[in-house]
Amino acid sequence: MSTRTPETVTEHTFYLNLGPQHPSTHGVLRLFVKLDGEYVMEVDPIIGYGHRGHEKMAESHFYEQFLPNTPRMDYLSGMLFNHAYVAAVEKMTGIKPPPRAEYIRVVCAELNRVASHLMWLGAYLMDLGGVTPFFYAFDDRENILDILDRVSGSRLTYNYCRFGGVARDVDDTFIGATRDFIKRLRGRWKDYNNLVTKNVIFIHRTRDVGVIDKDIALRFGCTGPVLRAAGVPYDVRRVEPYSVYSELDFEIPTGVNGDALDRYMIRLREMEQSLRIIEQALDRLPGGPIRTPTPNKVRPPKGDYYFAAESARGALGYYIVSDGSEYPYRLKVRVPSYGNLQTLTEVLPGTLVADTICILGSIDIVVPEIDR
Amino acid sequence: MAVKKIAPGPRVHLAVLEEVLNLCRANSLWPMTFGLACCAIEMMATGASRFDLDRFGAAVFRPSPRQSDLMIVAGTISKKMAPTIVTLWEQMPAPKWCMAMGNCAISGGPFEFEGQYAIVPGADLLVPVDVYVPGCPPRPEGLIQGFLSLEDKITKGEKRNVIRRFKKRAGRNR
Amino acid sequence: MSLEDLKKELEEIVEPSSVHTRDYDRNGCLLEIRAERSRLLSIAQAARDAGFFLEFITAVDFTEGPIAVYQFNECNAVSRIQVKVQLARGESLPSIGRVYDAALWYEREVFDLFGIRFDNHPDLRRLLLPEDADFHPLLKEYGKVHAFRSAREIYVDQDA
Repeated sequence: MSTRTPETVTEHTFYLNLGPQHPSTHGVLRLFVKLDGEYVMEVDPIIGYGHRGHEKMAESHFYEQFLPNTPRMDYLSGMLFNHAYVAAVEKMTGIKPPPRAEYIRVVCAELNRVASHLMWLGAYLMDLGGVTPFFYAFDDRENILDILDRVSGSRLTYNYCRFGGVARDVDDTFIGATRDFIKRLRGRWKDYNNLVTKNVIFIHRTRDVGVIDKDIALRFGCTGPVLRAAGVPYDVRRVEPYSVYSELDFEIPTGVNGDALDRYMIRLREMEQSLRIIEQALDRLPGGPIRTPTPNKVRPPKGDYYFAAESARGALGYYIVSDGSEYPYRLKVRVPSYGNLQTLTEVLPGTLVADTICILGSIDIVVPEIDR
Repeated sequence: MAVKKIAPGPRVHLAVLEEVLNLCRANSLWPMTFGLACCAIEMMATGASRFDLDRFGAAVFRPSPRQSDLMIVAGTISKKMAPTIVTLWEQMPAPKWCMAMGNCAISGGPFEFEGQYAIVPGADLLVPVDVYVPGCPPRPEGLIQGFLSLEDKITKGEKRNVIRRFKKRAGRNR
Repeated sequence: MSLEDLKKELEEIVEPSSVHTRDYDRNGCLLEIRAERSRLLSIAQAARDAGFFLEFITAVDFTEGPIAVYQFNECNAVSRIQVKVQLARGESLPSIGRVYDAALWYEREVFDLFGIRFDNHPDLRRLLLPEDADFHPLLKEYGKVHAFRSAREIYVDQDA
């Protein structure tokens, strides 16, 4: 509980708890707000309600045993977290996966990114009060989940990448279904634009709301769509390409104002860029093995290593300290929502309670990845 | 004058009416939005377009516990969250039911290991659970089967479990 | 400001022998600085003036005491810098919350999980664990871990 006392107490000042059980807090987040009537004066985000001890778990489990933890941290970008962890350990150990596995990983990762943005779209619009886009978005998302379920065995918490490659090969049904899905989703952009982007209520609720400019974003260490909306084209796939991203051609959408509408537009355009990446990767998919043989328990050499990747929410990183054994000595996960959530302490004061939900949703956080 | 003890229990038995009421309760369960972690997404997917939960009468997710009669504990329960769960359960008006969705809510799931300091391994240590839906996360079809089992339980009028609070059980060291 | 200019500035703040160039493919960062706790604020200020953002703050527990790890990065090109501060048991660190707002939560997390206190932090309370918890879980003496080693055993082929 906060031990601060309010400086100016009027008869309209009171404290309100938003969460931890709340329909719009995207997980178990508690916002302890000090309100003056309907205006927010101060906000204190209280997290930790989803703390499960991933980092402590890593210290008593092998590298392979930590694989199922990775998609459960950010369950909407499960494939991206899984991919980044596997790539981090592979780089430390010097394992090189075959090119077919790299392309398959990129296709699955970008499919996951599209699924995450679709889920965000549905949930965000539902927070704002429009329930119809939720059903549209989940309908499209179910197609992606079918494709990934077929190849990895799971709809949400994928554990598909292995050290040295991927677990199972993809077949023509996978490739055909993915291409059909790309065509289908491209035909749906018109529906989303008519329903959401051109919607007057949506524009009024999101334009100039929650402006996170470049200064705020850099002070808080924001990455991902939040930083790109402020005008900074920072994307780890472009600045530090990993896997086969250096061979693929895609744009980095950026915004101008840094408001909620910009963040929404960027995520829409990012979905289209992800579809471009998937198409190129499928065109170039080589034949060959899908996994290089690795020892049963990998033993990275002594030292520390930091690997950065781009998750759906921003720059993700794994900081691994290895003592040469099959257990990590320290595993720290740098999650993008951590810095993004902290901006609320600066952006929310002065806004209305309804705008609070709008801003919180537009930042796109997943609380269990913050809590780990 | 001696004080008369009033016996607990229903004074009036409504035989057929009780069955009709149970049928109504079962076919219009109002769940509370209580997603904690990954299972919440599968719960949302069950209520969404493909695996429509509305056809079972159960897609009216109420944010407030005072308006709901089913608490679906979907996700890992951390020790910080545990008092909140009990508070929410006590705020729900009777008749109420609880469903433990996912392995974390049943027994701690993939996060139960020696040296775990942060989670409560199972929702049934806090609230009385009626239906357990296994899976990590359970498929929407699995959650729907959980709903149907709960509806069977309600309409057959089974007695609900008594709360077991923090009893030591063989094989689990806390 | 480019990484080279920042490197020159950092070499004025700490001794040049504490600024090591690292191989990006081997460590993921370009520069590593072994600093004393008194130089921490100056390093953070120099990084901020160069337009770097704070990536994370964490700690690693060793037998001689924890090492606090700070990481800064830039948006334009690969320019990751790592700053490591070796602490004794029970020693505190100055808070860089005045320089980087992002540090406020990272420092709270390090205090929560490792017990390292930060001087001049405006609001040092627990972040992830319940407020009344009385342990620091990521210390190696707590719970079950596989190994508890000295820093010299791990950073063998890296000078200093």
